[in-house]
Amino acid sequence: MNVYLDYQSAKPVDPRVIEAMQPYFHEQFGNPSSLHMTGDQATRVLNQCRQKIADFIQAERDEIIFTSGATESNNQALIGLALRNREKGNHIIISEIEHISIHNIAKFLERNGFTVSKVPVDQYGQVNPDKLQQRITEKTILVSIGHANNEIGTIQPVREIGEICQQKNIVFHSDAVAAEGLIPLHVKRDHIDLMTLSSNDIYGPRGLGVLYKRKGVSLNPLIIGGGQENGLRSGSENMPTIVGMAKAVDIMQKQMPGEVEKLKKFRDRLIKGVLEKIPQSYLNGHQIKRLPNNAHFRFEGIEGEALLLSLKDKGIDVATGSACSSKTLEPSHTLISLGLLHEEAHGSLELTCGRFNQEEDIKTLLKELPGVVAKLRQLSPLYQQEDQS
Amino acid sequence: MKSTQYSEKVLDHFRNPRNVGTLEGDDVSVGRVGNPVCGDVMEMYIKVKDNRIQDIKLKTFGCGSAIATASMITEMAKGKTLEEALKISRQDVADELDGLPPVKMHCSNLAADALRDAINKFLDQKEAPVGEKQPQASPPEKIPGQGKFLGKGVYNQVTELSPLKDKRILISYQGVESVQLAKKLTAQTPRVVLLTNKKEDAFGIELKNELISSGVKLLFESEILEIKGFEEVEKVRIHDLNEDDEYELFVDSVIIP
Repeated sequence: MNVYLDYQSAKPVDPRVIEAMQPYFHEQFGNPSSLHMTGDQATRVLNQCRQKIADFIQAERDEIIFTSGATESNNQALIGLALRNREKGNHIIISEIEHISIHNIAKFLERNGFTVSKVPVDQYGQVNPDKLQQRITEKTILVSIGHANNEIGTIQPVREIGEICQQKNIVFHSDAVAAEGLIPLHVKRDHIDLMTLSSNDIYGPRGLGVLYKRKGVSLNPLIIGGGQENGLRSGSENMPTIVGMAKAVDIMQKQMPGEVEKLKKFRDRLIKGVLEKIPQSYLNGHQIKRLPNNAHFRFEGIEGEALLLSLKDKGIDVATGSACSSKTLEPSHTLISLGLLHEEAHGSLELTCGRFNQEEDIKTLLKELPGVVAKLRQLSPLYQQEDQS
Repeated sequence: MKSTQYSEKVLDHFRNPRNVGTLEGDDVSVGRVGNPVCGDVMEMYIKVKDNRIQDIKLKTFGCGSAIATASMITEMAKGKTLEEALKISRQDVADELDGLPPVKMHCSNLAADALRDAINKFLDQKEAPVGEKQPQASPPEKIPGQGKFLGKGVYNQVTELSPLKDKRILISYQGVESVQLAKKLTAQTPRVVLLTNKKEDAFGIELKNELISSGVKLLFESEILEIKGFEEVEKVRIHDLNEDDEYELFVDSVIIP
């Protein structure tokens, strides 16, 4: 059995979720738009699920829009809002370390007449709200800052940013995919107007996402058709996955405190163990403002893909921000934004724990990693110069 | 194709790289190519006897295929005449490994380049031994943004260290004083980068080790093209002279003595 320490990339669906979804493929197959009995049943279930998910983030039931996933939610939020507010302004603010989908949507908007400012982050990956405020102009219509970073796990000062946006009457979108199930989400308290969620990131099925839209915020729809989801997202509701996500939320609400404690314990053991056992190893991200399941390192003198492949040979699944493992051969923009040099970004290792990890997994990683790093360093022309110190 | 979809032969060479190490002696030549910036550095050591590669060793920092191609080429080149070895191309190395993912072809290029560099250096040495070239200290030039951000992240001199606490600092090398300052600043912040247009071997090994062990990051063969920011310095654009490449480095302060 593999040791899986890459929960950030994909999570298994909780077996209890699969069980809850089963009846909705054959027995309760109704379409909520139908007026007959089967349709009514579906409407009732849809309403309950919507309420369940709204409660999870302290929102109202009709502020929840179902989409096909987090990427669609991000597209709908940014493009939908930009198109709707063209008359008001054409300026959008994001941070340097947003998820790649936000970066690419921003690029798309730039090609279509909008201007985008990127707020830098400090060496721990946090956005400085003052630097964000400096960039706000009369033309600013939207700020999009993720709740927590998906790679290094740094948690952003979301409430402070929300307050600034509220004062300036600017819509605030936050992609909360990396944070959901790991830190409490509270859209009202944090003054969030639009928020992206994904079903899989709380152990629900893939193919479903949510866009929270505060009442009063107007968007242009991107998927046009039969007018479902208040006209904002057409297409018959994907009932099995909606039921699945609601069940995933239900489980998460009950288990979260204990689960987060367990993850923190694993994370802290990983951080302590790696930094102690491996010379010239460094923690990327924030010491305290950090997701409870994220341990992100860099090692002098070695390259991440080689590290990933070596650990794969030992039966351990991990992630890296190295260029050599990416499609574009560019190192992770998040790591570069921390102020790291390319060679440092290349030597990174991302470990993310999750619900089904056992203590044994942490032990195995800590047992195998030092040897793997040492072996690769023996090969490396960049390390030999430094180990004399 | 997934970048990690390697042939069995690539994986074998990655797992058990052949001929790892270095060589020493008068008949040894070292080829070094690549750049840590792009993620691959390769060193190829060859020992030449009677115009043949008698022994060959490698050191590499790089991804799976960089390691595998370096290992492969050492096997291919051993025993060959210099002329034969010079003909080994990146395609030859890839073929010998039963192919590489297309996106990785540049890595195997590196192995062939490193070998060629080693051979060419050997041939050059034989023809005309040249003395060490002294690197020219270039006069400090005005960099775009330097004036605009003066006092807002750009400093010509540092009188007080405490405002630089926890900042990401880039220091432009201007002789021994900038080295002293860099070392002193490591007590204030974990992030001090010293940048110079000089080559790595222009710095003595002692000085280099001293800097590295005090936690200063060194950037050789680099120059600052532009200092950028909003109201304060946020990043610099850097020209990598060796690769003739440009990239951005996020910093909070730039010190140009």
